Amino acid sequence: MATLTLRVITPDKIALDASVASVVIPGADGQIGILPRHAPMISALNAGLLRYTVDGRKSVLFVTGGFAEVRGETVRVVTEAGEKPEEIDEARAKEAEKRARARIAAGKTAEGDPVDLLRAEAALRRALLRLSARESR
Amino acid sequence: MASIRDLRNRIKSVGNIRQITRAMEMVATTKLRRFQEKAVASRPYSQEITGLVSRLAALLGDDVSERPLFAEGAGQKVAILFVTSDRGLCGAYNSNLFRKAELWLAANPKVDVDWYVYGRKGYSYMTRRGRHVERFLVEPSLEQTDYRSAARTSKALVDGFLAGKYSRVLVMYTAFETMVRYVPTEFQFLPIQEVKAATDTQKTSGDVILEPDAAVIFDSLVPRYLETRIYNALLESLTSEYASRRVSMKNATDAAKTMGNGLKKVYNRKRQENITKELLDIVGGVEALK
Repeated sequence: MATLTLRVITPDKIALDASVASVVIPGADGQIGILPRHAPMISALNAGLLRYTVDGRKSVLFVTGGFAEVRGETVRVVTEAGEKPEEIDEARAKEAEKRARARIAAGKTAEGDPVDLLRAEAALRRALLRLSARESR
Repeated sequence: MASIRDLRNRIKSVGNIRQITRAMEMVATTKLRRFQEKAVASRPYSQEITGLVSRLAALLGDDVSERPLFAEGAGQKVAILFVTSDRGLCGAYNSNLFRKAELWLAANPKVDVDWYVYGRKGYSYMTRRGRHVERFLVEPSLEQTDYRSAARTSKALVDGFLAGKYSRVLVMYTAFETMVRYVPTEFQFLPIQEVKAATDTQKTSGDVILEPDAAVIFDSLVPRYLETRIYNALLESLTSEYASRRVSMKNATDAAKTMGNGLKKVYNRKRQENITKELLDIVGGVEALK
């Protein structure tokens, strides 16, 4: 079976370098599925879950936005953080969720800073995505 | 001439200094290795980002030079990010960079500079000379720096540039060439210049699907590219600092060793002399009694 090489590259390390059958990336305008022999592509990414299949087993990786490039039979994902489910600190993500919810509540009632509200919402989204990545282990 | 006791004290203190510098040398070696590993680990990321930037620039063609971060800023002033160390005892590491800064200032006498400084040494140097330090970046300290703090610094510089405060932004840091060669270097951070060169050398073949479109990707990619440049500059400076510190501590240890040996020789000769003198006295006394 034809395979793709998936490399997830972060500033600290290469988070993943694997031969996969398919990849679904969280593109800026929605999920994008990539199979072998895909046309060359460059895409911006949202924070979200990167899903891939190795030997019929499905795995996920949490990415915090970034970029994906398909060139030849290689998918390169360049992101600030790529976390495997087992690397995610559940307690910390829950804590972040609570904080973000509190900030949103505060921002909505009073004449809160709209920028801060947006940030809090983004933080909440990240926390929830981390938790869902953790669960799909 | 120093007395026997003075000599003994000096030998002891030289020995102590030697122990300390030896320990500092070993600490520097460990830290050096750590920062080198960090620098190596970050390389694929910055290569990928740089590659993407140049490929997208090729797709965008001439439009690139009209984007905001690629044209000269509206301001009169120049911002310089100045990367020095927090601690001394690292040879000529800091003073080499100070000299670089002085040369630049001498060549651009009419320019009003806002300094963004990493490292206590650079901060005290600049404030002592009455230069305007716009920001002293201590949180987190240079040694604890990670990609995210480098990204914050990058953002502060980009924001200042886009707000029309600066016409240009430069970075002065110490490039790490080899274990014994560290070169004070400056490069222009903003407006971005290097990407233009990549445009004519690299041509992407065939059609590339772009999601959402080239301009949007490019505009979110460029800040990442700038972040990697800052991060690399910081890591290279740190590597240079510790390489330089290791060499100077090694030299100090060796010097202490040579000095200790020399002092020991003098001390032994002196002691021998004293014994001989005493013997002569005794022999002389015995002679006199006869």
